[in-house]
Amino acid sequence: MNCETCQLKELELEPTEIRDVLRCILHTIFFHRTLSLVRPKDVDCDFLEITYVQCGLPELEKEVDEKIDQFTAWVEKHPNRRSQICLSFFDEKQTPSPKRYSKSNSSKGLTNIGANALEETSTRRAALESSVNEVLFQIINFANEKKDHIPAIPDRIFNHEIMIPRFLGLCCPGPIHSSRHLGGHLSSKLIPLILEDT
Amino acid sequence: MSGMSDSAGGVRAGAELMVEQFHLKVLHAVLAVRTPRPLAAAAAAAASFRRRDRWFHLPLHDPPPPPEAADRLDELAPGEPLVVDVFLCPSGGVGARGEVVERWTVACEPWPDAAGGEEVAVNRAYKHCFTLLRSVYAALRVLPAYRIFRLLCANPSYNYEMGHRVDTFAELFSRTQEAAMRSQRFVPVETQLGRLVVSVQYLPSLAAFNLEITSLSPSVIIPDYVGSPAAEPMRAFPASLTEATGPGFPPSYQQQRPHSWASPAFWPHTPAHQARFSPPPVFYASPTPSPPHFPPRLMRWESAPMPIPQVSERRSPAHRQNMLPPPSPRRGDMGAAGALESPSESGRLIGRMEELRLADPYATSSPRHKGKDNKDESGRFSALSSCDSPRQDDLDDVDYHFDVDDVDTPVSHPRSADGKETGDQVVSSSHKSQDAQVGSLVNLLRNARPLRNPSNSSQTSRAESSEVASASSVTSRRTSDALEELQSFKEIRERLLSRSSAKHQEPPGKP
Repeated sequence: MNCETCQLKELELEPTEIRDVLRCILHTIFFHRTLSLVRPKDVDCDFLEITYVQCGLPELEKEVDEKIDQFTAWVEKHPNRRSQICLSFFDEKQTPSPKRYSKSNSSKGLTNIGANALEETSTRRAALESSVNEVLFQIINFANEKKDHIPAIPDRIFNHEIMIPRFLGLCCPGPIHSSRHLGGHLSSKLIPLILEDT
Repeated sequence: MSGMSDSAGGVRAGAELMVEQFHLKVLHAVLAVRTPRPLAAAAAAAASFRRRDRWFHLPLHDPPPPPEAADRLDELAPGEPLVVDVFLCPSGGVGARGEVVERWTVACEPWPDAAGGEEVAVNRAYKHCFTLLRSVYAALRVLPAYRIFRLLCANPSYNYEMGHRVDTFAELFSRTQEAAMRSQRFVPVETQLGRLVVSVQYLPSLAAFNLEITSLSPSVIIPDYVGSPAAEPMRAFPASLTEATGPGFPPSYQQQRPHSWASPAFWPHTPAHQARFSPPPVFYASPTPSPPHFPPRLMRWESAPMPIPQVSERRSPAHRQNMLPPPSPRRGDMGAAGALESPSESGRLIGRMEELRLADPYATSSPRHKGKDNKDESGRFSALSSCDSPRQDDLDDVDYHFDVDDVDTPVSHPRSADGKETGDQVVSSSHKSQDAQVGSLVNLLRNARPLRNPSNSSQTSRAESSEVASASSVTSRRTSDALEELQSFKEIRERLLSRSSAKHQEPPGKP
């Protein structure tokens, strides 16, 4: 699969932080890749002193929240496991164009580590904020570096898929589409490193 | 041929317009979150955007940049950068140059040769500008200066002010400044005219500025200032109030006065500040910024205390039983010793009064409480309006009476709608002079009827006592608690009298 892939920095999160951080990262990605008319909305993280931007699209917000809920449910069942979420963007293939196919596509993927039992200290929180900021700048830089493959300005958000881990040991489910990949998916990085007890 | 040249001319004109709008959009985005303004001055979100706001599919809620800033765009020569410096300077330092904490630079760097950009499609360039602007927009909220901006929007009483300077040149940084700064250069967008380049230099940490609230209010003359008990608990009252009991009793806040915790809108920026730093607030009526995460508890503690209860509501004996503060939850002992245990904690009493008083104005639950990302269709940060409400209520509802009816208001439901309604009733009650209120309280203390002797209850018949057993236990709890409170009142009274006597011994003319 020929697509652009972006591997974001790994983050170690507590269960209570997963939702906050995932929303921040996913919405930042969507904000950069949604080229239709948006209504930017500033949102503060609940536990971190970070403000991110949403597109102001209620349907998208709902979808992101649902996926995060599924992911957090998975994490609860599989604590202290490294896990990842993959966000892919697709474009409907209309006319076969060798030139287009030759173009590299981009994707946004991110890795996430399942919640570890970490002592909550202000130092750790500050370090986490710094890490999340790094991730946001990663997204900013990647989104700007890799934008040639983005198709013409659509009147809607790009087709996309948020893939969360469902079964241990399986790869991130690859998209079964005939459409040209705007994005791809990360190869499986589900490597259970150290299974720690909570 | 002429058609092609017209077409080419039209494309170039389109590219020029796009570049101009790009500069304006970046300037707009930067100033929107780097020009602190009162939260109350934020205008309501527009349900729809004007056509011209939809450039780059990124309408910005905030009003456009002020004319003096936007005019800089007209002065831009090809290739000349637009530089926006954001700086912090000590509060009140009119004319003092602050330290630059951020520098945004936008420029369209022309191609080395005239034909360099002919192959660039305007549509493609336009599309790329979308992503670049979104990156700028997001980065503006990630950089450290954004936090300072939010703090200053919520409370202008900090020891620093944030200002900006828009120009077509950049003053050189010193070596020290240059070394301290980090740079973020966004990937340029190629256009027909040149490459659109956006970069930012910023201080990675602003901790060195030690932002702190310097005073409870900015430099504004408050003619009716009556003082804060938190700062001056034993401050002497005016002479009219000392005739009966002397100073020292918690002052009344009948008159509306601006508080430090009030919305900054009530303290307009001084003209000097406006002229130097930022355009008039009217240009920036955006609710985009939202206040810091002040816990509601903190805000409650910073509110005005309760004044002295009303005279009229002390007359009726029926009210007398209700005049006393709510019973202490732990007192169940009917013994004389227990009943007469002295809390001797006037501060605790006052604190409880505050708690009761505060049950009302903050009854309106703030959606900001948890849902910071309220799905506002307009894209507005809905937390702004919700955070405005408590402060507005705080200003409007300053007549906090230590009123009997309020005392019985259940503390366990401080945010109930009923509590808010009770508070409204308190506010609407008649205003009494402070000395009359002090006098009424003193009369209350002097004329309080003796409490029921616990030993008498044992003389009632068994049948009656069994019937009233539950009622008497409640009553005895109330009585013991009432005794406690009465004791505290007595102590306050003694203190007032002693101060009054001391006052009379002072030479005349002293307030």
